[in-house]
Amino acid sequence: MNDDFQDLLEISEFYILSQKYEEAIKTLKKAQKINNREPKLYYNLGIAYEALNDRDKAINAFRQALSLDPNFQSAREHLDRLIKG
Amino acid sequence: MKQFVVIGLGRFGSSIARALSEKNFEVLAIDRSEERIKEIGGTVSQAVVVDATDEKALKELGIKEFDTAIVSIGENIEDSIMVTLLLKELGVRQVIVKAHNELHAKILSKVGADKIIFPEKEMAEKLAESLASPKIFDYIELSTEYGILEIVAPKKFCDKTLGELKLREKYGISVMAIKRKMPYTRPDGSPDFKEEIIIGPGGADEILQGDILVILGRYKDLNRIEKL
Repeated sequence: MNDDFQDLLEISEFYILSQKYEEAIKTLKKAQKINNREPKLYYNLGIAYEALNDRDKAINAFRQALSLDPNFQSAREHLDRLIKG
Repeated sequence: MKQFVVIGLGRFGSSIARALSEKNFEVLAIDRSEERIKEIGGTVSQAVVVDATDEKALKELGIKEFDTAIVSIGENIEDSIMVTLLLKELGVRQVIVKAHNELHAKILSKVGADKIIFPEKEMAEKLAESLASPKIFDYIELSTEYGILEIVAPKKFCDKTLGELKLREKYGISVMAIKRKMPYTRPDGSPDFKEEIIIGPGGADEILQGDILVILGRYKDLNRIEKL
């Protein structure tokens, strides 16, 4: 089960790096059904939404990542930038 | 062929006169200022220095033969009312007048203006509408006709090159720049991106998901893009 989750997380990263953000979001939603307590999942979601200029959804996702891991530095940086921007 | 007379060659008046000329209509441009007449000179069929409140001068120009008159007189409300009245009395079929405020508009309609326009107000309303859209990042007014729009690339443009999209032919717009978030992997292995800007993209440049396009075009064409 957890292997599937890790695979999906990696696939989502591959999609993000290929600038296929919508596909990344679809993959992350699948991963969320397996494990919805992983901060990285929400961080990747935040990145994909931010790349698609969907500010509100990106803010929500980064907030969720931080609520699961308050020390998640890169999620904090993105959230701060989006809120200030 | 329709004939137009444009009275008052400020920013609005001169833009209208030029736009009508570009569409091959016969345009007579009138202003009190020699400088403005010189400026518009070659671009319209005829440009003359005349005080449009002078009834005799208007008659001599054969104003009544024109189908439509556009009155775009600067700040002088009194002159704008007077000219509207004269044009109607001389028999110009359609008189379109730029109004400065509601009271001015009311008087214009009483003296016979067929159409009253508020270009600044209409532009401001359009701009407000655009800014309220989450897809729009910026809107710059270049003239009464042209503007620059910064907009999230419509889905139907994604994964296609500018050459394939033929935006100028199909939509009458030019892409001046593409703002792109370039993804990379952070040292900790997580994905991230940096913002990049491609200035003056060419036909081989592809539009990708999430790109922001900086496009130049007529307002009507930009509005079409917003609605995609």
